[in-house]
Formats: sequence, structure tokens, C-alpha cells
Amino acid sequence: MFPPFRLDPATLLGEVSAFQRKLSAGFPNLAHQPEPEYANTPREAVYREDKLTLWHMKGQGKPTAKTPTLIVYALVNTVWMTDLQEDRSLVRNLLEQGEDIYLLDWGYPDGADRWLTLDDYINGYLDRCVDAVRKAAGVEAINLLGICQGGTFSLCYAATHASKVKNLVTMVTPVDFQTPDNMLSSWSREVDVDRFVDTVGNIPAELLNWVYLTLKPVRLNQQKYVGLVDILDNPKELQNFLRMERWIFDSPDQAGEAFREFIKEFYQQNKLIKGEIVIGGKPVDLGMITQPVLNIFAEQDHLVPPDASRALGRHVGTTDYTQLAFKGGHIGIYVSSRAQREVPPAIHQWLSTRN
Amino acid sequence: MAEQASDLLKEYQAMAQQSWDAWTRYLQQQAGTATPFGTAAHAASGGSGDDLLARSMAAIKGYGEWLQGAVGSGLGQSGADWQQSLQHLFGSLGGQPFAHAFASIDSEAARSFGQMWQSWLQASQGAMPGARFDMEHMAAFGYTRERQLQQQALAAAMQEYLEWSGRYQALIQRANTEGFERLQAKLAELTDTTRQVESLKALYDLWVDGAEEAYAQIALSEEFRHAYGEMVNAQSRVRELQRQQLDVFCRELGMPTRSEVSALGKRLQELRREVRVGASPEAADEVAALRAEVATLKRELAGRDAPAKLPAKKPATRSAKRSMEEDEAVVRRPKPAAAVAARKSVVRGATRTRK
Repeated sequence: MFPPFRLDPATLLGEVSAFQRKLSAGFPNLAHQPEPEYANTPREAVYREDKLTLWHMKGQGKPTAKTPTLIVYALVNTVWMTDLQEDRSLVRNLLEQGEDIYLLDWGYPDGADRWLTLDDYINGYLDRCVDAVRKAAGVEAINLLGICQGGTFSLCYAATHASKVKNLVTMVTPVDFQTPDNMLSSWSREVDVDRFVDTVGNIPAELLNWVYLTLKPVRLNQQKYVGLVDILDNPKELQNFLRMERWIFDSPDQAGEAFREFIKEFYQQNKLIKGEIVIGGKPVDLGMITQPVLNIFAEQDHLVPPDASRALGRHVGTTDYTQLAFKGGHIGIYVSSRAQREVPPAIHQWLSTRN
Repeated sequence: MAEQASDLLKEYQAMAQQSWDAWTRYLQQQAGTATPFGTAAHAASGGSGDDLLARSMAAIKGYGEWLQGAVGSGLGQSGADWQQSLQHLFGSLGGQPFAHAFASIDSEAARSFGQMWQSWLQASQGAMPGARFDMEHMAAFGYTRERQLQQQALAAAMQEYLEWSGRYQALIQRANTEGFERLQAKLAELTDTTRQVESLKALYDLWVDGAEEAYAQIALSEEFRHAYGEMVNAQSRVRELQRQQLDVFCRELGMPTRSEVSALGKRLQELRREVRVGASPEAADEVAALRAEVATLKRELAGRDAPAKLPAKKPATRSAKRSMEEDEAVVRRPKPAAAVAARKSVVRGATRTRK
């Protein structure tokens, strides 16, 4: 039997000294850092409406894919997670594989958008963006790649606008909103969301960021920043860290009415898998999705537990359903080194056999 | 010898503290000059530069202090009881060495929210004669009766919020305590030389694992869900009552209220939806189909009446043209009953003209 430590006073002093030295030497670097840039892959705005912009992303060469793919991001945070930095960009990787990529950038809602509903977002904005892509590419139907809440929107859209969607890819997308390990769902269950939205109007991004941080409070509020000390002397790593911080905290407010509907009908009542969602008078039945579906989820996802995504396989109507489990988390699925190697090629390969 | 070692430790800790203070001051100076708007920008964003910086630095500062505490905790010293040393180390800062990691954002938010409303209440009480009594339960009367009732409701809501916030904080505290217990259990399992903890950072990481596990278990419990929901609901209630009071003040000053602006926004969105429906491709298709149908019917009608109407061809055509146009206008835009009746009389008039 041994004690659990192999430490002595000299080792402890050495470790504390080293920490202090790293901190003292590294902090001046932090003070002089420029605002980190995203990858900024060349792009062209092909459609604008209210706050949103539809971007056509430009690769080095012409796309070889015949069917364009529209990336539909969540309303929380920004779509630039998919084009975060040059060597960690889902968009760049897909362009290099020959895909024709469009991005839906929802923008930053303000008071004028307080009453936007899910109908406005899905049957309005999203539908008009899909039409714009169809028109630009000269095709009847396009591929949708929905991410997180954007994946849920894409499912709703594909179920009600089948003729405009050729293939559907969902990434870290919640479908069953009440799996036992879903912390966000558990917390939302007893919140009087009507009173909440009536009181605050649009949901402040800062408030949502707080909620996300409290899902793993010690790791996200402290351990992450303790780790920062180790990279203060590495300019590249430091820029990468600060870029991620920029993305995490650079988030839009949520349009109050759409938030109310999403929390009530999806989180609190779990209506999507019950086939009870109605958006703009159109019933959303996942069984009506008969297009090929590729469902990608992250095995260590703390925001959308894997089981919440896996549920899609049990409810979707298509006979061409593929599921891909990624070893990583909700963010790592876009930005980790492993993700760069595994995810874009898998999407491209799957799409190329269905173009 | 022991005294010498103790002096050495004290000197080291003093030096480390000086080092910490020095770079903190340095960073604060850098931050102060980093923004062209200086203090004004910080004030506008809700806090002084030092205050915001301190919040961002709290994680690293907490870890640095913990490291310094570890040096004097007895950990790693031969003959020392490791469990006692550990207890001393993690209990040295009020039993919550990393309490801010669990609850710092929440505490800040909750505290500032609480302070804000307490200030509000105090200001309101100061303006109201008799407020030193048990205002919350006083019978309301007199010409300020309505305002008294509002204040009572606000005080009661604030009290309720503080109660639920307290329960929430108690659960956070329990997670902190259980996190330490889990750390002890994890350490107790490390009983062979190949798995011993060899650095303070490794010990810290092990504690983070235990703390997150404990937190996750509590955060997914029914008790937490209830406390969380009630805390949010109570806070919404306070905000709702405050907004009602603000609306009253705004009306008295002739200023637009939040409710009025919100109502305008709602009507605007409804109007936009109606306009879109009217201008949608579906609506245009419907109108085109109806026009074609009307034209067909008119051709049929003209063919049937043709032999009898030949002598009065010219005037009849002009009238019929007008009639057709009016009919189409009706199809384009549904009219109220009175307008339809008027249209019918015009048609009748045209028929008389033909005669």
C-alpha cells in the first residue's frame, strides 16, 4: 500500500515557481494580441434579407459537385464555427473536396425581430434562401447540412418542403429532446417560458452563454484558463485559443417568440418525435423525410447528447439512412485535428454517391 | 532545522505573492491603455476595467493561490498525514478553493440582480412615507393605494426570488462538497506506485474530474430542476413587476413604454406576414388560375349570347370589358359584402345599358 502522491517539498516549490514564471513571462504576450480573425474563406453574398446573409463560399477551383449544399447553422452562436481558422475549417475542407457550399448567416436579431416565429425562420427565411440557392445553381433540389438547432430546422424543412431537398446531412442535431442525460432539457422543464419571454423579450446572448458555461462550470470557467498559462509563450496556440474565445462569446441574442416556441414545443413537450410539431400550419412528420439522410453526432457531446441525435434513425422515413459517430465533443466535431481528417471526407463521400 | 524550513516557505510565499501582484498590476496597466475609449468604454459596458479584468483573471488567480497554499499544506512532506494535508489544502479558502468556478458567474449575476432590486426597493421605500413598517403586509389605502400594492407585490416577489436563489446556491455548495469527497475516493484508489499523483496540476485535474461528476449528478436531479425553474420564474416575476412600474412612470412622463413598443413590433410582424402571403408565388398562381377560369367562363358566356347581342355589339363590348375588369378586381382582392353588392349593381346597370 502506497500513498496516492509522489510529491516532495522541492517538487512542489519547483512547480509553483514554474507556474509563476510562465505567468509573469507570458502575460505581456496576452496584452499585445490582435483581435483574432476567422478563416475568412473567400465568399460572395448572394441573398440578403433583414439581418441574414446567404454566402456562396469560394474554393480554389470550380466545384465538381452538381448539387449545391446549404449549411444551416443554429440561431445561437455564429456560423463561423464552420470556417474558424484556415487549417480548421469544415467549409474549406468541403470546398477542397469539390462541394459547392453556401452558408446561411442568420445575423444578430434586435428588438425589431422580437416577434419572429419558427414559421418566419423555417418557412420564411430558410425557404427563401433555399430558393436563392436553387436559382443560383439552376437546380430543382439542393443538399441541406444542418448543424445543432439548424439541423432541427433542416429536418422540419425537409419534412414540409420535400421537393426542394435532395439530400439531408444533420450534425449534432437534437431530435429526442428528453433523453435522461440532457441537462439543458432538464433545466428548461420547469421554467415558465411564457413569463420569461414576456419579461425579457429577446433572450440576451450573455444569458445563454452563462447557461452553457454552467453545464460544466469547473472545466469551462477555470480549468480551461489554467491551461491558458501553458500556451502564453506560444503565439500560434494563443491566437487559436483567443479565436475560440471570440467565437464562443460572440453570439447573437435570440428572437423572443422563436425561442418561446422552440423551448416549449421541442424541449418541454418533445413534440418533434411525437409528430406533433406544426409550423406555419404545416405538420412536421419526420416519417415524411424520404430523402437520403446522413446523421453525424459527437460521442462526448455535453450540449446535445448522442442519444438525442441517434433518435433520428427511429423516426425518419427514409430507407437510405446513415449514422456516423464522431469521437469528440460538440465543438471538437468542427475544429479538432481528428475532425478535419474524418468529418469532411465522410460527408463528401456520402454526398458524392447520391449526387 | 524545522524553523529554517518554515522561514524559507514563508519567504517563498511572500515572494510569490509579490510576483503575482506585480504582473496583475502590469496587466491592469496594459488593459487600461488597450482601449482608445479607456474608462468610458469600460463604464459603458457595465464595469470598470479593473473589475472586468479581475473577473476574467479569477480562474487563474484562484489556481495560483491554491498552488501557493499547497506549498504550506504539508502535502508531500514525509510523515505527514496526506488526508489531513489534503483537507487543509482544499479547506484553506473557506472550504471552497474554487467556489468561483462553480458559481462565480452565477454569483455575480445573482448578486448584482439582488443588489439591483434591493436598491430599487430601498429607493421606493424612501420615497414612501411609512415604509419603515412591515410594508409587505400592510393594508393598502389612501390615494397611493395602487402604488402601495405594486410595491408590496415587488417586495414579495423579491423575497421569493431570494429564497429560491438560496436553495440553488445550497445545491451548488453541495456539489462542491461532494466533489471533494469524490477526489478523496479517487485518490484512495491510487495505491500502487505506477498510478501515483506526481504534480499539483495532476491533483488539480483529478479534483476537476470529481467536481464535475458530482455537479452533473446533482444538476440532473429533480431537486435541482425544480430549484432552477423556480429561481428563473421568481426572477422573471420580479422583472415583470418592475417593468410594469417603469411603464407607469414612462406614461406619466409621456414616453413610449416597453409594452407599447413591443405591441407595435408584433403588429408589424403580422402585417409583414400578410403582405408576404399576398405576394407569394402560391398566391400569384392562385390568382392566375382564377383569371384563366374567369376568362374561360366569359368566353363561354359570350359564345352562348352571341346571336342575340349582335346589333348592340360595340357598346356591349365596352360595358362587358368594364364588367370583366371589375370581376377580375374582385378576384384579385376579396371585398366586403357592401362592395360586392355595389359591384352587382354596376353589372346590372351594364346589362340595362346593353338592353
